[in-house]
Amino acid sequence: MNLLLRLIVFTVPTTFILLFFMILTNEDTYPGADYDQFQVPEFELKVLDNSISVKSDFLNGDYVLNVWASWCVTCIIEHPYLTSLSKNGIPIIGLNYKDEQEDAIIWLKKYGNPYQTILHDYQGNLALDLGVTGAPETFLINDGKVIAHYQGEVNDQIWNDVFLPVIKDRKMF
Amino acid sequence: MIIEISHFLSILATGLFLLVGYFSMLTPSSNSRYISNLIVRTYSHGFFFLLSSFLIYVWLAITDNFSVQYIANHSNTALPIFYKISSIWSAHEGSMFLWIVFLSLWGFLFNIRVKNSEVLKPKTMGVISLILVGFLIFLLATSNPFETILPIPPLNGADINPVLQDPALAIHPPTLYLGYVGFVIPFACSIAFLLYGDSKINWEALVKTWSVSAWVFLTVGITLGSWWAYYELGWGGYWFWDPVENVALMPWLAATAFIHSLGVSIKSSQLRIWTILLSILVFSLSLFGAFIVRSGIIDSVHAFANDPDRGLYLLGFIGIIVFISVFLFILRLSSIQSLSRIKKFSKQSFISINNILFGALIFSVMLGVTYPLIYEFLFDQKISVGAPFYNAIFIPIVVLAAIFLFFSVDSKWSRSINFKFISAPISFSILLSLAFTLFIMQYFESQSISVLASIFAGSLIIFRYIYEIINSIFSKKFINPFSVIAHISLGLLLISISFNSLLSTERALSIGLNSTEAYKDLKISFKDIGVENNTNYDSIKATFLVEDQTGRTFNLKPEKRRYFTRGQITTETAIHVTLLRDIYITIGDQLDDGSWIVNIQINYLIRWIWLSALLMGLAGVVLVFSNRVKT
Repeated sequence: MNLLLRLIVFTVPTTFILLFFMILTNEDTYPGADYDQFQVPEFELKVLDNSISVKSDFLNGDYVLNVWASWCVTCIIEHPYLTSLSKNGIPIIGLNYKDEQEDAIIWLKKYGNPYQTILHDYQGNLALDLGVTGAPETFLINDGKVIAHYQGEVNDQIWNDVFLPVIKDRKMF
Repeated sequence: MIIEISHFLSILATGLFLLVGYFSMLTPSSNSRYISNLIVRTYSHGFFFLLSSFLIYVWLAITDNFSVQYIANHSNTALPIFYKISSIWSAHEGSMFLWIVFLSLWGFLFNIRVKNSEVLKPKTMGVISLILVGFLIFLLATSNPFETILPIPPLNGADINPVLQDPALAIHPPTLYLGYVGFVIPFACSIAFLLYGDSKINWEALVKTWSVSAWVFLTVGITLGSWWAYYELGWGGYWFWDPVENVALMPWLAATAFIHSLGVSIKSSQLRIWTILLSILVFSLSLFGAFIVRSGIIDSVHAFANDPDRGLYLLGFIGIIVFISVFLFILRLSSIQSLSRIKKFSKQSFISINNILFGALIFSVMLGVTYPLIYEFLFDQKISVGAPFYNAIFIPIVVLAAIFLFFSVDSKWSRSINFKFISAPISFSILLSLAFTLFIMQYFESQSISVLASIFAGSLIIFRYIYEIINSIFSKKFINPFSVIAHISLGLLLISISFNSLLSTERALSIGLNSTEAYKDLKISFKDIGVENNTNYDSIKATFLVEDQTGRTFNLKPEKRRYFTRGQITTETAIHVTLLRDIYITIGDQLDDGSWIVNIQINYLIRWIWLSALLMGLAGVVLVFSNRVKT
């Protein structure tokens, strides 16, 4: 009886702890990442600095789409990493989200501009259709189709674990 | 500068708590008067440093100091002071900070209220301090709330999540945390008892009031959370078996079993092994709750999205705590055997049966929480375990436990009695409950066995205790006021939940402007819809005129809001509350023909569910205060 009790008291927590250890160290556990595929939604937006209108077909290529705003604190933290990606030849398009045009331009002057083009989504309509819940968020677009999505700060680890496998798989960039 | 002072005070507190741990665990004579005084004083200093650190942090939040990254990410100048303070526990780092401060507060109260001559005190303080050190290192190393954005702080903060801008939510997490961490006292005492290894020490009596107080906070905290999800998140019910609700329910179930078991151990030195095991289980489950919410392992409204490092640290720390406890338990098991065997049909026998039933409930919830995770890990597919699973397990076990409770009222401590099934109180309650259940069955034409069984079990308890009350008035027989209140509220809870599931209905209507739809006994007219612009959100506000069968009319104005800073859309429900039922309306999307989708729920007795849960908490308050009067 006592031996049985000792055994139970020892095994039950051990099992649960080992199990959670395995789940946690499993490579796929990035809660912000998802790989639902869908066509980039219809939109018509102005480009931030020169007010040209662009439509959905603008994104018919391979891009990284990064949602940012001048009011977003985490975007400042993420910024150096995006700049290094851009220097390595990754085409990044910015989606300026619910932001005043002047604020966004001042922000870019202060920190530098890693984006090829920036779409100004003042109303947040495109962001809503993309399923954005806040800034920063990053989408991987392949031939006008969203193939990966990450909510939160992109850094070296996230880039390597969430995006790079998909990019290699599709032979993008 | 001030932020560094606050940061530094926290680090200092960590050092002092480590010192307390050293004094109590590694000095050979920790019970000498000199060392135990040292422990008491060092702990108090540590607590005051930590408290000052937290108060400075609150002050930083009130004064909009956005050079603190956490405050910049979660507060805003436009918020009222109340929400500036509550924004501190609106996300991971700050809420962890609050959690730790509460943990140290319980330790501090124990430190000042328990006499220095108590043999277990030095070791208890040591255990509490070492747990504090572990969590403070977790806070400072992996989730530092004192991170700064310098030299250029933002001009304004990113705002608190709008669903958290609500008075119930401002008090729900602190109450729940006080409950979770309060169980550190019985845990630390039982560990101290095991470390000490003298089975004659009566550690159970020392922790009774503390355990019941923590249980009260846990009960009230869970109730507040249930109420908040109902009206603010628009979930429309009282319980959803959401993983985070479940990780709060498990410690509650364990704590309820623990308190009963504790009572037996104090009274007759029986069930001592159960009591120790349960004290370890309650605290481990509280820690497990923190792990589930903060490791990012599940998706839920409550989960703080996070990096896996935090999860690993927490898991490792919980693992250490659990293994040391289990090791000590196994080591001392043979010396803490209970003195005598439990007699058949004595009060103890019923409590130990219900301990087993509660254990089964806890294990099932644990399975429900972890099974989807295991399944996803093994097969890479998402599944969810929902209400049908839990209902299938909870209803029979709870009904069974209620029936054992019913018979336990007649039983005596340490004495087996011969049950007279035709004795007045038993047959009185059984007959009345049967009549009541049959009436419900006929009147509402219900065939559902689970509903009828729960109503029967609930009324059995209520009638039995009403008989007890009447009996005590006429024959001056002593009754436990807290036991009576707590168990009557359990009966009330069972009955309210049964009626809620029996009678409540909901329907989605599509309804055009200025037209009227009928649903059940209600006539709902869509009067108006318009867009309102507010300072931090736009809202679509609809007005419905509802008329019930008695001809009474009232307006309900549900809303949909879109917040600017975070772009989040929230649903604001409109609820008409009466004693017996809530009429609950939310608006959905507009259809192509211009009509709107409107969801209408009629929720019966839902207020009674929360009321009975609060009443149960009140029973605990009665117990705590009656104990204080005695001592």
